[in-house]
Amino acid sequence: MTFRNRATRRYIRIHLSLSVLYIALVLLASLFIPDNAAPTPMVILFALLPGLVVLGWIWNMGSLLVNMEDEYLRMLEVRKMLWATAITLSICGGWGLVELFAAIPRLPVFFVFPIWCVGLALGQLINKLTLGDGGTCA
Amino acid sequence: MNNRLKVLRAERDWSQQDLADRLGVSRQSVNAIETGRYDPSLPLAFTISELFGLPIEAIFSRD
Repeated sequence: MTFRNRATRRYIRIHLSLSVLYIALVLLASLFIPDNAAPTPMVILFALLPGLVVLGWIWNMGSLLVNMEDEYLRMLEVRKMLWATAITLSICGGWGLVELFAAIPRLPVFFVFPIWCVGLALGQLINKLTLGDGGTCA
Repeated sequence: MNNRLKVLRAERDWSQQDLADRLGVSRQSVNAIETGRYDPSLPLAFTISELFGLPIEAIFSRD
């Protein structure tokens, strides 16, 4: 099963490295950008830097699917991602509709990706309950 | 889809891990195929067929 471990290990290694980079960039942005700063190009650039890491996370997940040679384990990962997408779209779509008609707090767009990640965990649980196997990672 | 994977494996006294190693897949894959929770792709079905030296239809059958 070394092939599976290789793809998974690579995924986890890159994911952890990107996570450290994300935390560092968020801390840097918090340090240098004052609260309620005007949206100057420099402020926007600083704020977007952690966003590049988010793109890296997404690329890493896609790369995991490409590099996984075991079709069953890959299917489990794809199912997790589909569940995560369904859950995220349901929450964001539902919340957005309520926002239109009721005075509830706006859901910051920032939370879309974290919601999707929670959806991954739920997808893993659903895999476990329906297929007996959760999946390898993420 | 039904399959005779468990029987064929038992005839050779192979564990699920033994079969998985021979097929180049995970033990979970072998378990999922044996228990009917997952139908293998055509390439994997051909690999299984070649490993046991049997035609695909002698291993897999419709429900």
